[in-house]
Amino acid sequence: MATKGSRIDRSAKWVLAAPLIAFTALFVVWPVAQGVQTGLYYFTLQNPEITFNGLENFRKVFSLPGFWDAVRFTALFAVVVTAVEAVLGFGLALLMNRTFPGKKLFFTALLLPIMIAPSLLGIMFRLLLNGDIGLAPAVLSGFGLDISLFAPGTVVPLLIVLDVLQWTPFIFLIVYSGLQSFPTDVLEAAQVDGAGKLRTLKSLVIPMMKPVIAAAVFLRMIDAIRTFDVIYVLTAGGPGRMTTTISIYIYKTAFESGDFGLAAAISTVVLLALLPLVPLVVKHIAQPEGSRS
Amino acid sequence: MKQSGLWVSALVVGAVVLAGCSPSVGEGQGGEGDGSGIVKVVLWPGPEGDAMADVVDEYNAGLGKDADITVQMTLLSRQDTFSKEATLMAAKSSDQDIYFVASYNVGQFSSSLDPLTGVDTANYFPVAVDGLSQDGELYALPVDVSNHFLLYRQDLIEGLLNDPAQVETYRSVAEQAIGEARDPKPADQWDWDDFKAMSAYFSESANPASPTQYGTILPARNLLYNTMIWNDVLWGSGGSWTNDAGEANLNTPEAVAAVNVYADIYTNGWTSPDSSQAEFPETQAALKSGNVAFALQWSAGFAELNDPERSPDVAGKIAIATVPGGKTHVHALAVAMNKYSKNKAATRSFLDYLATTDAMSIYAQSGGIPAMPAVLAANEDLNPAFGQIGESIDKYGYSVPVFPKTFEAYAKLAEDLSGAWIGEVPAEDALATANADLAKLLQP
Repeated sequence: MATKGSRIDRSAKWVLAAPLIAFTALFVVWPVAQGVQTGLYYFTLQNPEITFNGLENFRKVFSLPGFWDAVRFTALFAVVVTAVEAVLGFGLALLMNRTFPGKKLFFTALLLPIMIAPSLLGIMFRLLLNGDIGLAPAVLSGFGLDISLFAPGTVVPLLIVLDVLQWTPFIFLIVYSGLQSFPTDVLEAAQVDGAGKLRTLKSLVIPMMKPVIAAAVFLRMIDAIRTFDVIYVLTAGGPGRMTTTISIYIYKTAFESGDFGLAAAISTVVLLALLPLVPLVVKHIAQPEGSRS
Repeated sequence: MKQSGLWVSALVVGAVVLAGCSPSVGEGQGGEGDGSGIVKVVLWPGPEGDAMADVVDEYNAGLGKDADITVQMTLLSRQDTFSKEATLMAAKSSDQDIYFVASYNVGQFSSSLDPLTGVDTANYFPVAVDGLSQDGELYALPVDVSNHFLLYRQDLIEGLLNDPAQVETYRSVAEQAIGEARDPKPADQWDWDDFKAMSAYFSESANPASPTQYGTILPARNLLYNTMIWNDVLWGSGGSWTNDAGEANLNTPEAVAAVNVYADIYTNGWTSPDSSQAEFPETQAALKSGNVAFALQWSAGFAELNDPERSPDVAGKIAIATVPGGKTHVHALAVAMNKYSKNKAATRSFLDYLATTDAMSIYAQSGGIPAMPAVLAANEDLNPAFGQIGESIDKYGYSVPVFPKTFEAYAKLAEDLSGAWIGEVPAEDALATANADLAKLLQP
């Protein structure tokens, strides 16, 4: 028989979770549902009559010119930047996980890039990297390096470097926070047992930090897939479609082609493609307490 | 009932509800109103927004006050004004009474606009009016007009023309560049071969004694506004988007030649490799820095380049010439009545005022470039380019056909051709794709 205490516990759970549920419903579930709904309609700027056309928009998505180019570039970009940022962020977190003079100042400086709005960063870099008036080409030229940073052969590596510069601190911050609650007694025990730093890192730190690293990598990967601002400001997806991400592709479908129904359908397809990642990540992040070694 | 069954039922119900509802939009009806009250106008910031602010202030203090009409202007971001307006239009919003539009998107927006009637278009450049008309109806009132010029370093070009030694060098460079040892010409006489030859002559890679690093900068970024500039090369080479029957016409030798003007300059290093990402600001920077000798540029760029404070290195040295080939894109920036406005009578009153030379004189005096030739002529002392803008538009202006997908066509051509402009894709292949895309977009 349920006791009064357990009934109160169950009610308390719902009451305490109510604000989050309401927020999620209003700002996540409802807009996503609206988006899916819009994808079911023929809804363009040129035609004021909105008509239901079922799955026609969704069927069209897979044969749209440029769609697969955008998917390929987005996948390549997201994987490369996430991998580089994960390695650099983790390395930085390990380096910063000690006391040294000027640590607070250095820590603050490290976080500055993620505090700048991506579109503003795009504008800043557009000026900084300009071949005629930009500081970066002038400095490079001083070292005898006459590299054109926006040329077709260098523009993709440039975008990757800029993303790494901006978002490595994000992974660093999450991993560093995780390291602060790392049990020191485990490290001391390893030291007593004669384990070297590399062995400790490989056999203790990385396995025990797996949930934190997984969370950081997942969040960063999703963000990288959604990249829009910096690339749009710097290259508008060009030359041709060379640097068109899926977000830029969706934006252009909506606001250049004026086809909101099709843009919504593409967004829904992307959402569905990414959903299978969630249980994979949850498995690594949300492990029950007793199951961690 | 098992939990999984509950979830499936919830999903099915949700799907049925979704399918039964259409995307939520506004009421979808406008209204005349009582001829007074607030009229809301959207504009973008920059010279046009600043100039219009003065016109609005004048109206509110005078005619508007008498008629009990107050105009409120909202400035959105320059980058995203049209996207935000598109969202409002898609939602059939009545929030704004007047939208800011342009020749290149009025076709896309026309289903959300009311055609304007009773406008005396005699005061405007005919090409500006044509560019805002669709199926014989005027959808927006021209406010500002944009065209292109060849902006060039007068000191360098005249130095070349007056120095026999330089002329000899030029002939030799021209022979390498275009296969013909031709003499240099004054800028207003160039054709596209002269443009290429001059690009080579003023590039260190072809002429180590060149006073500039590169001859020119090419606006080759994947951007619909760059299609407008490249259109000058296309039209000036004898090509166009459509033939007389209104069919897509990009698969022509003229179009190939037009693409290859850009591609030859880029691949031969007569322009910075950064041209692949260049548009208006980069062109300004290149001219300002003195790194290039000339460039195709929007008319709005000249004032800054001629200003000693903003361009100390080149002010007074930059001159204006007609675009080689004698064709310049012209588009009008304009204001249009929202079909779903609830205050159309008052809106019409303000638009009637905007159509007067008085309003446009204030606009010119406040830094705008009005689409009225008489106003430009009367205000030449304010901006030396005004006289040439008027002449250029009258003699050399063309406007691209207006159809519902004109805006998308500009963007599509930039996407299809920007790779070819920098030699990454063969011109014929890129134009075949562009022609096919244009043909689809021309379909009703």
